[in-house]
Amino acid sequence: MENNIIDIKDLVKIYRLSDEVSVRALKGVSLTVRRGEFISIMGASGSGKSTFMNILGFLDTPTSGKYILDGIDGSSLSLNEKAEIRNKKIGFIFQGFNLLSRTSALENVELPLMYKGGVSPQQMRERAQKLLAMVGLAGREHHHPNKLSGGEQQRVAIARSLINEPAILLADEPTGNLDTKSSNEVMDIFTSLNREMGITIILVTHEPDIAEYSDRKVVFRDGLIIEDAPISKRKKAAVTGKSR
Amino acid sequence: MNVRNLFITAVRAIAKNKMRSSLTSVGIIIGVSSVIVMVGMGNSARVAVRDKITTFGTNAMSVFRPSRAFDGRDIENLRRIFHVKYISPLIYDTYIPVVFQNRNMLSRIYGVNNDYFQIKDMALQSGRYFSAEEVTALARVVIIGTTVWNEIFGNADPIGRTVLIKSVPFQVIGLLAEQGSAFSGRDFDNVLVMPYTTASTRIKNRKDFDELYIAAHNEGMVEETAEVVRQYFRRKHNLPPGAPDDFRVKTSIEQLKVAENISKTLTILLAGIALISLFVGGVGIMNIMLVSVSERTREIGIRMAIGAKRNDILLQFLIESVTLSSVGGAVGIALGMSIYYAIIYFLEWPFIMSFMSIIVSFLFSFAVGIFFGYYPARKAADLKPIDALRYE
Repeated sequence: MENNIIDIKDLVKIYRLSDEVSVRALKGVSLTVRRGEFISIMGASGSGKSTFMNILGFLDTPTSGKYILDGIDGSSLSLNEKAEIRNKKIGFIFQGFNLLSRTSALENVELPLMYKGGVSPQQMRERAQKLLAMVGLAGREHHHPNKLSGGEQQRVAIARSLINEPAILLADEPTGNLDTKSSNEVMDIFTSLNREMGITIILVTHEPDIAEYSDRKVVFRDGLIIEDAPISKRKKAAVTGKSR
Repeated sequence: MNVRNLFITAVRAIAKNKMRSSLTSVGIIIGVSSVIVMVGMGNSARVAVRDKITTFGTNAMSVFRPSRAFDGRDIENLRRIFHVKYISPLIYDTYIPVVFQNRNMLSRIYGVNNDYFQIKDMALQSGRYFSAEEVTALARVVIIGTTVWNEIFGNADPIGRTVLIKSVPFQVIGLLAEQGSAFSGRDFDNVLVMPYTTASTRIKNRKDFDELYIAAHNEGMVEETAEVVRQYFRRKHNLPPGAPDDFRVKTSIEQLKVAENISKTLTILLAGIALISLFVGGVGIMNIMLVSVSERTREIGIRMAIGAKRNDILLQFLIESVTLSSVGGAVGIALGMSIYYAIIYFLEWPFIMSFMSIIVSFLFSFAVGIFFGYYPARKAADLKPIDALRYE
């Protein structure tokens, strides 16, 4: 198995708004991520970090450049193959949670497994229940998202992102809509997922506090990486284990 | 994603907007129920018409409107032809007063011979037919229909009683079984059947017959027999080849055909109307599915982000529209059957269960769901994940 889970070279993304106007969102970004790293990505809005994350998540395609995820070259994939990679290799966590509203927590967590197929309903249920218990939501499996707090919804989303045992987690401002307490709980979960299960995490944030949970900080500005440095004093998870 | 889960998803989406979904299905419900009602009515009408016409006998025909009057010679001549099994003259008159004791009514007389009962397949409830002597002797005997029996005898035993027909005393010798009434409302049971000889001398004072009734040996020989009868009258009337007939031969098969043609035309017309309403229903489904797709763009984005493929999304929305249209179809079938049954019940027509029309209209509503659901579903499936996710 290769040591680098992500290998990116000279990634460029140009949005053509009209014949004359085009925006260069990424101007040639290179980045390698080792298996098991916890990276935080920072930058002002418009810096290109969201575009970068969308490309990382196979939700968008780069104009040029090379992107290899877990040994798979992203440039040669069909739409269905990309959907499959999103399903099996990537776990998404969004700022706005993005849960299906008329569906219970349990079913939200099961959904990626349904799209994967080949798993019996009993197995689905078991795995989803285990993951919900792990994020501290045992007993709330049948609550619908609108009956859960923001922190709880985000934990459902984390459970959902983990159900297909992905190679990386992509978290786009996961604490952006949460209060401090919920933010800390969510970050504790990320920390333990990274430390204890060795899951690679790439997390976008604009809060320096949150970035301190990671072990490497990458800063974007104007479509380029302007800083890429390890974090010296990594923040200890305040309540490690409690929310698991 | 398997079909079962997709179906559950579809039902949930439909159930979430109950009002909207049921209104959307109304078009299909109306379309399908009208198909069911129309096909049912068409079938019942056809059977009802056939029942009326076959009281005339499927192997029977009548000859009427001759340029020269029929007479007893025609009966004798035609009876000798091999093709002719039964032959009876008909002398016909309406608004004939009939009196029994202090009761009276207006009725119709049919002057015939005994063959007439065979040709028309008329049975007796009680009493007897005419004897040969009564026909030759101009006997004043009459067989009455059930309406006459009800009206002037009050259902008391009429056999052997004497009634006055146009002031002439007649002895009642038989009572017909119930015949029913024609589409036009004409009551086949308001009749006085008597020997044609009696009718022509004692009631009408005219020798000639209004019609001849003839029965062939079987249904297959009707056309041939009709042709033989035609040739007989053409010869009798000295018609040169090419000249049109100056009389008419009407077979019951011909009448059946006319009735069938009318009902066929009607069916096509109604099928056209039903098709239009199904089309309108389909457009309604398409419209609501387009709304649904744009409302749920974000949901589509989420599903795509976590691994839904193009076909998963396509199927999800197709199944939703097919569920809408099929449920509409099923409700339409139930509603249509009820309406059909209610109408039939009041018209006293036969109820005919047509599984074919049920299956066809169900499959049709299914197809409407696919046809009109495909475009919105494809629109959903072709969304770019990132655009769908960002949609507000």
